[in-house]
Amino acid sequence: MTIFNLYIFDKFGTLLHYAEWNRTKKSGITREEEAKLTYGMLFSIKSFVSKISPHDPKEGFLYYKTNRYALHYLETPSGLKFVLNTDTTAINVKELLQQLYAKVWVEFVVRDPLWTPGTVVTSELFQSKLDEFVRQSPIFGIRNI
Amino acid sequence: MSEEILFDCLHAEIVNYCLDSNKEHDLATLEYIGFTTGYRLIERLTREVSRFKDELETMKFICTDFWMLIYKKQVDNLRTNNHGMYVVQDKAFRFLTRISPGTKQLEHAPKFVAFTCGLVRGALSNLGINSTVTAEVQSIPACKFHIEVNRN
Amino acid sequence: MSRQASRLDAKKVNSEFLTLTYGALVTQMLRDFENAEDVNKQLERIGYNMGMRLIEDFLARTSAPRCLEMRETADRIQQAFRIYLNIQPTISNWSPASDEFSLVFDSNPLTEFVELPPDLTNLRYSAILSGCIRGALEMVQLEVQCWFVQDQLKGDNVTELRVKFVRRLEEVIPAGED
Repeated sequence: MTIFNLYIFDKFGTLLHYAEWNRTKKSGITREEEAKLTYGMLFSIKSFVSKISPHDPKEGFLYYKTNRYALHYLETPSGLKFVLNTDTTAINVKELLQQLYAKVWVEFVVRDPLWTPGTVVTSELFQSKLDEFVRQSPIFGIRNI
Repeated sequence: MSEEILFDCLHAEIVNYCLDSNKEHDLATLEYIGFTTGYRLIERLTREVSRFKDELETMKFICTDFWMLIYKKQVDNLRTNNHGMYVVQDKAFRFLTRISPGTKQLEHAPKFVAFTCGLVRGALSNLGINSTVTAEVQSIPACKFHIEVNRN
Repeated sequence: MSRQASRLDAKKVNSEFLTLTYGALVTQMLRDFENAEDVNKQLERIGYNMGMRLIEDFLARTSAPRCLEMRETADRIQQAFRIYLNIQPTISNWSPASDEFSLVFDSNPLTEFVELPPDLTNLRYSAILSGCIRGALEMVQLEVQCWFVQDQLKGDNVTELRVKFVRRLEEVIPAGED
Protein backbone atom coordinates (compact mmCIF):
# COMPACT_ATOMS: atom_id res chain seq x y z
CA MET A 1 0.00 0.00 0.00
CA THR A 2 1.14 3.50 -0.61
CA ILE A 3 0.17 7.13 -0.90
CA PHE A 4 0.91 9.24 -3.96
CA ASN A 5 -0.33 12.76 -3.45
CA LEU A 6 -2.77 15.05 -1.66
CA TYR A 7 -4.77 18.10 -2.68
CA ILE A 8 -6.62 20.28 -0.19
CA PHE A 9 -9.19 22.68 -1.63
CA ASP A 10 -11.45 25.17 0.09
CA LYS A 11 -15.09 25.67 -0.82
CA PHE A 12 -14.20 28.21 -3.47
CA GLY A 13 -11.93 25.76 -5.26
CA THR A 14 -8.71 27.43 -4.12
CA LEU A 15 -5.91 24.91 -3.80
CA LEU A 16 -4.86 25.56 -0.20
CA HIS A 17 -2.18 22.91 -0.17
CA TYR A 18 -0.57 20.22 -2.32
CA ALA A 19 1.89 17.52 -1.31
CA GLU A 20 3.26 14.40 -2.96
CA TRP A 21 5.21 11.32 -1.89
CA ASN A 22 5.54 8.47 -4.34
CA ARG A 23 4.29 10.09 -7.49
CA THR A 24 6.57 9.04 -10.35
CA LYS A 25 4.60 10.30 -13.33
CA LYS A 26 3.70 13.95 -13.81
CA SER A 27 0.61 15.14 -15.59
CA GLY A 28 2.58 17.40 -17.92
CA ILE A 29 0.53 20.46 -17.08
CA THR A 30 1.14 23.14 -14.47
CA ARG A 31 0.15 22.55 -10.86
CA GLU A 32 -2.44 25.26 -11.25
CA GLU A 33 -4.06 23.65 -14.31
CA GLU A 34 -3.95 20.25 -12.70
CA ALA A 35 -5.69 21.58 -9.58
CA LYS A 36 -8.32 23.30 -11.67
CA LEU A 37 -9.01 20.10 -13.62
CA THR A 38 -9.15 18.02 -10.46
CA TYR A 39 -11.52 20.43 -8.77
CA GLY A 40 -13.76 20.68 -11.83
CA MET A 41 -13.89 16.90 -12.19
CA LEU A 42 -14.76 16.49 -8.51
CA PHE A 43 -17.47 19.08 -8.77
CA SER A 44 -19.05 17.30 -11.74
CA ILE A 45 -18.74 13.81 -10.35
CA LYS A 46 -20.24 14.96 -7.07
CA SER A 47 -23.30 16.50 -8.64
CA PHE A 48 -23.65 13.55 -11.03
CA VAL A 49 -23.43 11.03 -8.20
CA SER A 50 -26.11 12.71 -6.13
CA LYS A 51 -28.35 13.38 -9.14
CA ILE A 52 -28.29 9.75 -10.32
CA SER A 53 -28.51 8.17 -6.86
CA PRO A 54 -31.59 5.92 -6.47
CA HIS A 55 -31.71 6.74 -2.74
CA ASP A 56 -30.86 9.72 -0.61
CA PRO A 57 -27.13 9.98 -1.45
CA LYS A 58 -26.07 10.71 2.17
CA GLU A 59 -22.31 11.14 1.94
CA GLY A 60 -22.26 11.07 -1.84
CA PHE A 61 -19.02 10.60 -3.72
CA LEU A 62 -16.31 8.77 -1.72
CA TYR A 63 -13.70 7.44 -4.16
CA TYR A 64 -12.98 6.11 -7.61
CA LYS A 65 -10.51 3.47 -8.63
CA THR A 66 -8.54 2.67 -11.78
CA ASN A 67 -6.31 -0.35 -12.20
CA ARG A 68 -3.31 1.67 -10.99
CA TYR A 69 -4.57 4.10 -8.37
CA ALA A 70 -7.55 5.17 -6.28
CA LEU A 71 -8.71 8.72 -5.62
CA HIS A 72 -10.28 9.21 -2.18
CA TYR A 73 -12.42 12.18 -1.33
CA LEU A 74 -13.45 13.73 1.96
CA GLU A 75 -15.51 16.88 2.08
CA THR A 76 -16.21 18.55 5.42
CA PRO A 77 -19.49 20.40 6.05
CA SER A 78 -17.40 23.58 5.84
CA GLY A 79 -16.58 22.72 2.24
CA LEU A 80 -12.94 21.75 2.73
CA LYS A 81 -12.00 19.02 0.28
CA PHE A 82 -9.27 16.51 0.95
CA VAL A 83 -8.27 14.48 -2.09
CA LEU A 84 -5.82 11.66 -1.58
CA ASN A 85 -4.45 9.42 -4.32
CA THR A 86 -3.27 5.99 -3.15
CA ASP A 87 -2.58 2.67 -4.79
CA THR A 88 -5.52 0.32 -5.25
CA THR A 89 -4.98 -1.77 -2.13
CA ALA A 90 -5.20 1.03 0.44
CA ILE A 91 -7.96 0.59 3.01
CA ASN A 92 -9.57 2.82 5.65
CA VAL A 93 -8.55 5.93 3.75
CA LYS A 94 -11.66 7.82 4.80
CA GLU A 95 -10.69 7.39 8.45
CA LEU A 96 -7.19 8.50 7.62
CA LEU A 97 -8.49 11.68 5.99
CA GLN A 98 -10.74 12.36 9.00
CA GLN A 99 -7.69 12.04 11.23
CA LEU A 100 -5.67 14.26 8.96
CA TYR A 101 -8.39 16.89 9.19
CA ALA A 102 -8.60 16.72 13.00
CA LYS A 103 -4.97 16.15 13.96
CA VAL A 104 -3.05 18.06 11.33
CA TRP A 105 -5.28 20.57 9.57
CA VAL A 106 -7.13 21.87 12.63
CA GLU A 107 -4.06 21.71 14.86
CA PHE A 108 -1.52 23.37 12.61
CA VAL A 109 -3.49 25.43 10.11
CA VAL A 110 -6.73 26.47 11.78
CA ARG A 111 -4.88 27.13 15.05
CA ASP A 112 -1.97 28.97 13.45
CA PRO A 113 -2.59 32.62 14.30
CA LEU A 114 -0.51 33.71 11.31
CA TRP A 115 -2.77 31.89 8.84
CA THR A 116 -5.70 33.78 7.35
CA PRO A 117 -8.69 31.56 6.52
CA GLY A 118 -9.10 31.08 2.78
CA THR A 119 -5.45 31.59 1.93
CA VAL A 120 -2.84 29.16 0.65
CA VAL A 121 -1.03 27.35 3.45
CA THR A 122 2.69 27.92 3.49
CA SER A 123 3.48 26.93 7.09
CA GLU A 124 6.54 24.70 7.20
CA LEU A 125 5.37 23.42 10.55
CA PHE A 126 2.17 22.17 8.92
CA GLN A 127 4.11 20.66 6.03
CA SER A 128 6.40 18.71 8.30
CA LYS A 129 3.54 17.52 10.53
CA LEU A 130 1.61 16.46 7.44
CA ASP A 131 4.60 14.59 6.06
CA GLU A 132 5.15 12.86 9.38
CA PHE A 133 1.46 11.94 9.60
CA VAL A 134 1.36 10.45 6.11
CA ARG A 135 4.64 8.56 6.47
CA GLN A 136 3.52 7.06 9.77
CA SER A 137 0.16 5.92 8.48
CA PRO A 138 -0.22 2.17 7.84
CA ILE A 139 -1.31 2.96 4.29
CA PHE A 140 1.98 4.62 3.40
CA GLY A 141 3.75 1.30 3.86
CA ILE A 142 6.63 0.27 1.69
CA ARG A 143 6.43 0.92 -1.94
CA ASN A 144 6.42 -1.91 -4.47
CA ILE A 145 8.35 -1.12 -7.60
CA MET B 1 -8.47 20.80 25.17
CA SER B 2 -11.69 22.41 24.01
CA GLU B 3 -11.27 25.44 26.24
CA GLU B 4 -7.73 25.71 25.00
CA ILE B 5 -8.62 26.36 21.38
CA LEU B 6 -11.30 28.82 22.45
CA PHE B 7 -8.81 30.87 24.42
CA ASP B 8 -6.15 30.59 21.72
CA CYS B 9 -8.62 32.00 19.19
CA LEU B 10 -9.55 34.83 21.52
CA HIS B 11 -5.90 35.58 22.19
CA ALA B 12 -5.13 35.70 18.46
CA GLU B 13 -8.03 38.09 17.92
CA ILE B 14 -6.91 40.33 20.77
CA VAL B 15 -3.47 40.44 19.18
CA ASN B 16 -5.02 41.46 15.86
CA TYR B 17 -7.23 44.04 17.51
CA CYS B 18 -4.35 45.66 19.39
CA LEU B 19 -2.02 45.77 16.42
CA ASP B 20 -4.55 46.77 13.81
CA SER B 21 -2.68 49.36 11.77
CA ASN B 22 -5.73 51.64 11.57
CA LYS B 23 -5.50 52.47 15.22
CA GLU B 24 -2.76 53.95 17.29
CA HIS B 25 -2.23 50.72 19.09
CA ASP B 26 0.85 48.84 19.95
CA LEU B 27 2.32 46.13 22.09
CA ALA B 28 1.78 48.26 25.19
CA THR B 29 -2.01 47.93 24.84
CA LEU B 30 -1.67 44.20 24.53
CA GLU B 31 0.59 44.10 27.55
CA TYR B 32 -1.89 46.18 29.52
CA ILE B 33 -4.79 43.84 28.70
CA GLY B 34 -2.57 41.05 30.05
CA PHE B 35 -1.74 43.11 33.12
CA THR B 36 -5.33 43.70 34.19
CA THR B 37 -6.17 40.06 33.51
CA GLY B 38 -3.21 38.80 35.54
CA TYR B 39 -3.91 41.20 38.39
CA ARG B 40 -7.48 39.98 38.78
CA LEU B 41 -6.80 36.33 38.01
CA ILE B 42 -4.09 35.83 40.64
CA GLU B 43 -6.47 37.09 43.28
CA ARG B 44 -8.80 34.21 42.51
CA LEU B 45 -5.98 31.67 42.26
CA THR B 46 -4.32 32.49 45.54
CA ARG B 47 -7.40 32.85 47.70
CA GLU B 48 -6.95 29.43 49.20
CA VAL B 49 -3.18 29.34 49.07
CA SER B 50 -1.15 30.28 52.11
CA ARG B 51 0.91 33.48 51.81
CA PHE B 52 4.26 33.22 50.11
CA LYS B 53 7.13 33.68 52.48
CA ASP B 54 9.38 35.53 50.04
CA GLU B 55 9.96 36.71 46.52
CA LEU B 56 11.53 33.45 45.40
CA GLU B 57 8.61 31.43 46.62
CA THR B 58 6.25 33.73 44.74
CA MET B 59 8.31 33.27 41.58
CA LYS B 60 8.23 29.53 42.01
CA PHE B 61 4.46 29.65 42.30
CA ILE B 62 4.28 31.58 39.01
CA CYS B 63 6.53 29.05 37.30
CA THR B 64 4.78 25.95 38.58
CA ASP B 65 1.10 26.22 39.48
CA PHE B 66 0.31 29.40 37.62
CA TRP B 67 2.12 28.30 34.48
CA MET B 68 0.56 24.85 34.64
CA LEU B 69 -2.94 26.29 34.85
CA ILE B 70 -2.51 28.84 32.11
CA TYR B 71 0.08 27.32 29.81
CA LYS B 72 -0.66 23.64 30.46
CA LYS B 73 2.93 22.84 31.37
CA GLN B 74 5.57 23.91 33.83
CA VAL B 75 8.37 26.19 32.75
CA ASP B 76 11.53 24.43 31.66
CA ASN B 77 13.88 26.57 33.66
CA LEU B 78 13.88 29.32 36.27
CA ARG B 79 17.07 31.17 37.04
CA THR B 80 17.86 34.09 39.26
CA ASN B 81 20.91 36.19 40.03
CA ASN B 82 19.54 36.66 43.55
CA HIS B 83 19.42 40.40 42.92
CA GLY B 84 15.88 40.62 41.61
CA MET B 85 16.53 39.32 38.10
CA TYR B 86 14.67 36.18 37.10
CA VAL B 87 14.74 34.36 33.80
CA VAL B 88 11.87 32.01 33.04
CA GLN B 89 12.36 29.69 30.11
CA ASP B 90 9.55 27.86 28.34
CA LYS B 91 10.77 25.72 25.46
CA ALA B 92 7.32 25.23 23.97
CA PHE B 93 5.36 28.33 24.83
CA ARG B 94 1.63 27.84 24.33
CA PHE B 95 1.02 30.82 22.07
CA LEU B 96 3.93 29.92 19.79
CA THR B 97 3.48 26.18 19.33
CA ARG B 98 1.35 26.46 16.18
CA ILE B 99 3.60 28.96 14.47
CA SER B 100 6.23 27.81 12.00
CA PRO B 101 9.78 28.27 13.20
CA GLY B 102 11.43 30.61 10.70
CA THR B 103 12.97 34.04 10.42
CA LYS B 104 9.87 35.52 8.76
CA GLN B 105 7.65 34.28 11.58
CA LEU B 106 10.15 35.45 14.19
CA GLU B 107 9.26 39.05 13.38
CA HIS B 108 5.73 38.32 14.57
CA ALA B 109 6.82 36.64 17.81
CA PRO B 110 6.67 39.78 20.01
CA LYS B 111 2.93 40.00 19.37
CA PHE B 112 2.33 36.57 20.84
CA VAL B 113 4.30 37.07 24.04
CA ALA B 114 3.26 40.63 25.00
CA PHE B 115 -0.03 39.59 26.62
CA THR B 116 1.87 37.12 28.80
CA CYS B 117 4.46 39.72 29.84
CA GLY B 118 1.54 41.76 31.13
CA LEU B 119 -0.15 38.75 32.68
CA VAL B 120 2.93 37.90 34.73
CA ARG B 121 3.56 41.52 35.67
CA GLY B 122 -0.08 41.88 36.77
CA ALA B 123 -0.04 38.70 38.81
CA LEU B 124 3.21 39.68 40.56
CA SER B 125 1.94 43.18 41.16
CA ASN B 126 -1.09 41.91 43.02
CA LEU B 127 1.22 39.69 45.09
CA GLY B 128 3.17 42.76 46.13
CA ILE B 129 6.03 42.55 43.66
CA ASN B 130 6.56 45.49 41.39
CA SER B 131 8.40 44.36 38.27
CA THR B 132 9.23 44.85 34.63
CA VAL B 133 8.65 41.82 32.40
CA THR B 134 10.09 41.46 28.92
CA ALA B 135 10.24 38.49 26.57
CA GLU B 136 12.85 37.20 24.22
CA VAL B 137 12.16 34.75 21.40
CA GLN B 138 15.21 33.43 19.60
CA SER B 139 13.66 30.39 18.04
CA ILE B 140 9.97 29.54 17.93
CA PRO B 141 8.35 27.98 19.96
CA ALA B 142 10.83 28.68 22.80
CA CYS B 143 10.57 31.86 24.83
CA LYS B 144 12.48 33.45 27.70
CA PHE B 145 10.75 35.88 30.03
CA HIS B 146 12.98 38.31 31.92
CA ILE B 147 11.48 39.52 35.16
CA GLU B 148 13.22 42.42 36.80
CA VAL B 149 11.96 43.20 40.28
CA ASN B 150 11.91 46.90 41.06
CA ARG B 151 12.91 47.04 44.69
CA ASN B 152 13.08 50.78 45.32
CA MET C 1 5.18 23.99 46.29
CA SER C 2 2.84 22.77 43.59
CA ARG C 3 0.80 20.87 46.14
CA GLN C 4 -0.62 24.14 47.39
CA ALA C 5 -2.66 25.02 44.36
CA SER C 6 -3.36 21.56 43.04
CA ARG C 7 -6.71 21.94 44.73
CA LEU C 8 -7.51 24.61 42.19
CA ASP C 9 -10.02 23.35 39.70
CA ALA C 10 -8.39 23.66 36.28
CA LYS C 11 -11.75 23.91 34.49
CA LYS C 12 -12.84 26.75 36.71
CA VAL C 13 -9.54 28.55 36.27
CA ASN C 14 -9.78 28.20 32.49
CA SER C 15 -13.23 29.67 32.54
CA GLU C 16 -12.22 32.56 34.82
CA PHE C 17 -9.13 33.23 32.73
CA LEU C 18 -11.32 33.54 29.64
CA THR C 19 -13.87 35.70 31.45
CA LEU C 20 -11.27 38.08 32.85
CA THR C 21 -9.34 38.36 29.58
CA TYR C 22 -12.53 39.10 27.71
CA GLY C 23 -13.43 41.69 30.33
CA ALA C 24 -10.04 43.34 29.92
CA LEU C 25 -10.57 43.47 26.16
CA VAL C 26 -14.03 45.05 26.45
CA THR C 27 -12.64 47.61 28.90
CA GLN C 28 -9.86 48.45 26.45
CA MET C 29 -12.37 48.87 23.63
CA LEU C 30 -14.49 51.20 25.73
CA ARG C 31 -11.36 53.28 26.15
CA ASP C 32 -10.69 53.18 22.39
CA PHE C 33 -14.16 54.04 21.12
CA GLU C 34 -16.47 56.77 22.17
CA ASN C 35 -19.72 55.03 21.59
CA ALA C 36 -20.89 51.61 22.62
CA GLU C 37 -22.19 50.81 19.14
CA ASP C 38 -18.64 50.78 17.81
CA VAL C 39 -17.56 48.47 20.61
CA ASN C 40 -20.47 46.15 19.78
CA LYS C 41 -19.28 46.03 16.18
CA GLN C 42 -15.71 45.19 17.17
CA LEU C 43 -16.81 42.45 19.56
CA GLU C 44 -19.14 41.02 16.95
CA ARG C 45 -16.32 41.02 14.39
CA ILE C 46 -13.93 39.29 16.78
CA GLY C 47 -16.58 36.66 17.49
CA TYR C 48 -17.17 36.19 13.78
CA ASN C 49 -13.47 35.56 13.15
CA MET C 50 -13.31 33.12 16.05
CA GLY C 51 -16.39 31.29 14.80
CA MET C 52 -14.74 30.75 11.42
CA ARG C 53 -11.93 28.82 13.10
CA LEU C 54 -13.84 27.15 15.90
CA ILE C 55 -16.28 25.55 13.46
CA GLU C 56 -13.43 23.52 11.95
CA ASP C 57 -12.42 22.25 15.37
CA PHE C 58 -16.05 21.44 16.13
CA LEU C 59 -16.57 19.55 12.87
CA ALA C 60 -13.33 17.61 13.26
CA ARG C 61 -14.05 16.82 16.90
CA THR C 62 -17.64 15.66 16.42
CA SER C 63 -17.47 14.33 12.81
CA ALA C 64 -20.83 16.00 12.43
CA PRO C 65 -22.40 15.76 8.97
CA ARG C 66 -24.03 18.73 7.26
CA CYS C 67 -27.30 19.87 8.86
CA LEU C 68 -30.41 19.46 6.74
CA GLU C 69 -32.72 21.63 8.83
CA MET C 70 -32.56 24.34 11.46
CA ARG C 71 -33.57 22.01 14.30
CA GLU C 72 -30.38 20.05 13.77
CA THR C 73 -28.41 23.27 13.60
CA ALA C 74 -29.87 24.38 16.92
CA ASP C 75 -28.81 21.11 18.55
CA ARG C 76 -25.27 21.51 17.22
CA ILE C 77 -25.02 25.06 18.52
CA GLN C 78 -26.18 23.83 21.89
CA GLN C 79 -23.55 21.08 21.77
CA ALA C 80 -20.87 23.63 20.86
CA PHE C 81 -21.71 25.76 23.89
CA ARG C 82 -21.33 22.65 26.01
CA ILE C 83 -17.97 21.76 24.48
CA TYR C 84 -16.38 25.20 24.50
CA LEU C 85 -18.00 27.07 27.37
CA ASN C 86 -19.27 24.20 29.47
CA ILE C 87 -22.78 25.63 29.56
CA GLN C 88 -25.97 24.33 28.05
CA PRO C 89 -28.44 26.88 26.74
CA THR C 90 -32.05 25.78 26.36
CA ILE C 91 -33.46 25.81 22.84
CA SER C 92 -36.91 27.34 22.76
CA ASN C 93 -39.42 29.69 21.16
CA TRP C 94 -39.38 28.15 17.69
CA SER C 95 -41.15 30.20 15.05
CA PRO C 96 -44.06 28.37 13.34
CA ALA C 97 -41.95 27.98 10.18
CA SER C 98 -39.10 26.43 12.20
CA ASP C 99 -36.65 28.95 10.84
CA GLU C 100 -36.07 30.94 14.02
CA PHE C 101 -35.32 29.93 17.60
CA SER C 102 -33.90 31.15 20.88
CA LEU C 103 -30.95 30.01 22.95
CA VAL C 104 -31.75 30.74 26.57
CA PHE C 105 -28.91 30.95 29.10
CA ASP C 106 -29.51 30.72 32.83
CA SER C 107 -26.00 31.93 33.36
CA ASN C 108 -23.36 33.40 31.11
CA PRO C 109 -19.72 32.79 32.05
CA LEU C 110 -18.61 35.88 30.10
CA THR C 111 -20.52 38.19 32.42
CA GLU C 112 -19.73 36.42 35.69
CA PHE C 113 -17.86 39.33 37.28
CA VAL C 114 -19.51 42.13 35.35
CA GLU C 115 -21.85 44.92 36.28
CA LEU C 116 -22.88 47.35 33.60
CA PRO C 117 -22.80 51.03 34.56
CA PRO C 118 -26.04 52.88 33.69
CA ASP C 119 -24.40 54.93 30.94
CA LEU C 120 -23.56 51.77 28.99
CA THR C 121 -27.02 50.42 28.30
CA ASN C 122 -26.23 50.32 24.58
CA LEU C 123 -23.29 48.01 25.11
CA ARG C 124 -23.91 44.44 24.02
CA TYR C 125 -21.29 43.00 26.30
CA SER C 126 -21.58 39.44 24.98
CA ALA C 127 -21.71 40.40 21.29
CA ILE C 128 -18.83 38.00 20.73
CA LEU C 129 -21.33 35.12 21.10
CA SER C 130 -23.64 36.27 18.33
CA GLY C 131 -20.63 36.99 16.12
CA CYS C 132 -19.25 33.57 16.77
CA ILE C 133 -22.51 31.84 15.81
CA ARG C 134 -22.74 33.87 12.60
CA GLY C 135 -19.14 33.18 11.64
CA ALA C 136 -19.38 29.47 12.34
CA LEU C 137 -22.65 29.00 10.46
CA GLU C 138 -21.48 30.98 7.48
CA MET C 139 -18.65 28.48 7.10
CA VAL C 140 -21.23 25.72 6.74
CA GLN C 141 -23.18 27.69 4.14
CA LEU C 142 -25.84 29.07 6.47
CA GLU C 143 -26.50 32.76 6.64
CA VAL C 144 -28.31 33.71 9.83
CA GLN C 145 -29.18 36.75 11.84
CA CYS C 146 -28.39 36.62 15.51
CA TRP C 147 -29.31 39.09 18.23
CA PHE C 148 -29.94 39.46 21.95
CA VAL C 149 -33.56 39.57 23.08
CA GLN C 150 -32.88 39.48 26.83
CA ASP C 151 -29.72 40.07 28.79
CA GLN C 152 -29.09 39.37 32.47
CA LEU C 153 -26.66 42.29 32.50
CA LYS C 154 -29.61 44.55 31.80
CA GLY C 155 -31.76 43.13 34.54
CA ASP C 156 -33.52 40.32 32.66
CA ASN C 157 -33.94 36.94 34.36
CA VAL C 158 -32.18 35.09 31.59
CA THR C 159 -30.01 35.88 28.60
CA GLU C 160 -31.78 35.07 25.35
CA LEU C 161 -30.07 34.93 21.99
CA ARG C 162 -32.29 34.74 18.92
CA VAL C 163 -31.11 32.97 15.74
CA LYS C 164 -32.95 33.45 12.46
CA PHE C 165 -32.29 31.55 9.25
CA VAL C 166 -31.75 33.89 6.30
CA ARG C 167 -30.62 31.65 3.47
CA ARG C 168 -28.50 28.72 2.48
CA LEU C 169 -25.40 29.88 0.65
CA GLU C 170 -24.88 28.09 -2.65
CA GLU C 171 -21.71 26.24 -3.43
CA VAL C 172 -19.50 28.17 -5.78
CA ILE C 173 -19.51 26.65 -9.25
CA PRO C 174 -16.01 26.46 -10.74
CA ALA C 175 -15.41 28.41 -13.94
CA GLY C 176 -16.34 26.42 -17.03
CA GLU C 177 -18.79 24.13 -15.22
CA ASP C 178 -22.54 24.49 -15.18
